Amino acid sequence: MAGISIERVTKRFGATIAVRDLTLEVQDREFVTLLGPSGCGKTTLLRLIAGFMAPDEGAIRVGGATLSAPGAVVPPERRGMGMVFQNYAVWPHRTVFQNVAFGLEVRRVAKAEIRERVARVLELVTLAGLESRYPAQLSGGQQQRVALARSLIVEPSILLLDEPLSNLDAKLRERMRWELKDLQRRTGITFVYVTHDQSEAMALSDRIAVMHGGELMQVGPPREVYTRPANRTVADFMGLVNLIPARVVRAAGADSSVTGEVTVAGDHRVAVALPPGAGDGAAVQLAVRPESVRVVPPSEPGLPARVTEVTFLGNLIDGYAMLDDGTRVRVQIAADARLEVGQAVALRVDPRAVTVFAA
Amino acid sequence: MRAEHLVLAVAAVTLAILIVLPLASLILGSVTDGGKPTLEHFREALRGRLYVQALWNSLVLGAWTAVLSVVFGLPLAWAVSRTNVPAKAFLHLTAVVAYLTPPFLTAIAFVNLFSPNAGLVNRFTRDVLGAPALTFNVFSMAGLVLVTLPHTFPFVYLLAASALESVDASLEESAQILGAGRWRTAAAVTLPLVAPAVLSGALIAFVNAIALFGSQAIIGLPGRVFTLPTRIYALFDYPPQYGLASALSLIFVAITVAALALQRRYLARRSYVTLGGKGSRPRLVDLGAARFAVLGFGVLVFVLAVAAPYLTLLAVSVSKSWGLQFWENLTLKHYRFVLFEYDVTRRAIVNSLVLASAAATLAVLLGSLVGWVDLRTTVRGRKLLDYVSLIPLGLPGIVVAVALIQFWLKTPLPIYGTLLIILLAYTSRYVPLGVRSANTAFRQIDPSLEETARVTGAGWLRTFRSVTLPLARPGLFAGWLLVFVPALQELSASILLFSSQSITLAVAVYNLYETGAREPVAALAIVTMVIITAAIGLATRLGRGGAGATVPQ
Repeated sequence: MAGISIERVTKRFGATIAVRDLTLEVQDREFVTLLGPSGCGKTTLLRLIAGFMAPDEGAIRVGGATLSAPGAVVPPERRGMGMVFQNYAVWPHRTVFQNVAFGLEVRRVAKAEIRERVARVLELVTLAGLESRYPAQLSGGQQQRVALARSLIVEPSILLLDEPLSNLDAKLRERMRWELKDLQRRTGITFVYVTHDQSEAMALSDRIAVMHGGELMQVGPPREVYTRPANRTVADFMGLVNLIPARVVRAAGADSSVTGEVTVAGDHRVAVALPPGAGDGAAVQLAVRPESVRVVPPSEPGLPARVTEVTFLGNLIDGYAMLDDGTRVRVQIAADARLEVGQAVALRVDPRAVTVFAA
Repeated sequence: MRAEHLVLAVAAVTLAILIVLPLASLILGSVTDGGKPTLEHFREALRGRLYVQALWNSLVLGAWTAVLSVVFGLPLAWAVSRTNVPAKAFLHLTAVVAYLTPPFLTAIAFVNLFSPNAGLVNRFTRDVLGAPALTFNVFSMAGLVLVTLPHTFPFVYLLAASALESVDASLEESAQILGAGRWRTAAAVTLPLVAPAVLSGALIAFVNAIALFGSQAIIGLPGRVFTLPTRIYALFDYPPQYGLASALSLIFVAITVAALALQRRYLARRSYVTLGGKGSRPRLVDLGAARFAVLGFGVLVFVLAVAAPYLTLLAVSVSKSWGLQFWENLTLKHYRFVLFEYDVTRRAIVNSLVLASAAATLAVLLGSLVGWVDLRTTVRGRKLLDYVSLIPLGLPGIVVAVALIQFWLKTPLPIYGTLLIILLAYTSRYVPLGVRSANTAFRQIDPSLEETARVTGAGWLRTFRSVTLPLARPGLFAGWLLVFVPALQELSASILLFSSQSITLAVAVYNLYETGAREPVAALAIVTMVIITAAIGLATRLGRGGAGATVPQ
């Protein structure tokens, strides 16, 4: 069992609070991504899990044993975890074999077994045959795999990854995503993965933990975090989003699933699921992803708008339409549709694709 | 295009006069005798008992100094860059001050403490403690290593400290998370990564140690521990044996170049550039109570390398007669003597200041020309120019002097015995520093800044004057200071080139020491240090003001 319990952990650096009263439960064999902009505390949290620093408050437990508490930290070398660093941290003075074998040498594994296990793990990361190369003779992607192999060979129950793909070029990054995901499934290791790239997070994770300003904003499966962001910060970070001002005209009941009505751009009425506490007349914002906006002929029901910008991106059309009151709405529609600047259109939105935030 | 060739020509001619022709004369002089080719000089240099002994002593001195420089420099570097030892600024300053102290002053100070009969510490152990077995004779190989060490351990310290600081933390953390404890991590990761820097520092320590004429003359001659520089020096006693001196010089050069080549090859093959990325600084090791023990080690270095020499010279300089009860009879008469009665002093001060400023200016100027041609033009021969300008790195000070004498005695120009020949010696010795500084300074200026000026219509001279030079100025000034400081205390070359009119500070101290005037020498040594400190302080302040005013942020 290698679930991780992070319980009310706070970490300060002088006056700044890097992680604030954060609680997170990672299940055994789960792939959890800590996602957020730089400076949000995600790397600090990862280093707290690794034991490179001690929390100022709170505790971190793995499988019931307390590993970190203020003033009582099991050092990294006795945690049995693996870690892959952003710059790979492959030792330049050791060959691929020597890099990968290190963890087993420390554990006093017999030479013959080391050779066998290194061969096996290099096979796993498709580096077989490069045993005697030095890191300087390897490409970035290959160094990345050496770092992975070095961590995997000791068969950790938990693997921590700090932006491991961010130094790779786009193509390689894409391929390594699939490989990482596949690796995690096959090995059953619990992955805690840090990144600032939301598409990477969505592609890889069982659950995403969105962080901002040292706090946890939302934890959930990728689809949920994307379609039901808990707040504007999450909505904004998880991709493109329109924030359209509106006013409540018919409040929902106490049950938030009950649909209410708002007016947009003057008095066009739209049915949406309102958050609790949004009473009649309250100003709100409708968060809508550009791809959730349908563009229909002006004769059909919808919000009247005029197209102001159109860009053909190959796989889709990206553009802006302006509502009556001047609000600009970004739309992304299928590439085979016809859209021209100045064209009068109507915009329609499925109420289920709208999240309403208090303004 | 014309400008490039002009600059190239000026630089080439200057380098020829400073380096190539003297070196050629040296080589020629070593294989000829009265115009006829001979290998007799080399045979004598490699067979004669005196010279083989000197060669051996030089190697022993260099080896011991290099090893001990690591023993002292590496732990200090580790403590300052990797631990929570207290008073880091103090420890760092200890290394810097030790490095800046003129080596002959340390030697003279230690003579006052450990000469067999009159040395204060020896008197104390013998007469007060009654333990003559515990006395230490400074006039020995051990003594020579002791007085050389303060000037060589800083090389290892500085290189090791910067290497330790630049090792990416994640390299060590990777070992840790794989289960390696502190010592295992140090042995498997940290040490191999900083080894090239440490070895490099040790080799530079070796090269510098064997080239220090001052300590080897002051300590070695009375102890009959002859080394290459002192043997070469002795060959200039009447009748001078130029040929043998040249051959011995070239053997000296061969050793120096071999050590530097080894250093460069090792560094080139095994220097590890950390990949891009965040690259965090390593965490500091919490030493607990042991940090005071480590600080104690640093204090020991401070006492040996800084406190002992300076306090001793200060005490000797104000005592009527140096001895166990020296504080009972204090006097300032030695200062009065060296400052007002001994007319050599003022001449030496003026000469040294003029020579150091002029040499620094010339070296940086020449360095700028070479650097500019190398980096900003595609003229043929620019690489050769660069290589030639680095030759003096392999020439010990006394060898530069021998080469200049060999060359200028063959010309009709009577510059031997004048300030000019000393200026040539200093400039050629320190040209590599000028070239390196200029190279670094120019490299940091993006060529597009200059191209912008050219596009707007400025000629290359105008561009150089109003864009390149102002931007490079802080770097060039740093180079100027890098030459000025050692030139102000230069002894190894000056000792063969000075006359009573062109005497320099270091030579004045050495000559006065030779006459046995113990207390006045100490006073002159203190005066020298005050002048060096004041000049460095003044130059730094002037340079900083100027640089700040011209470099826009």
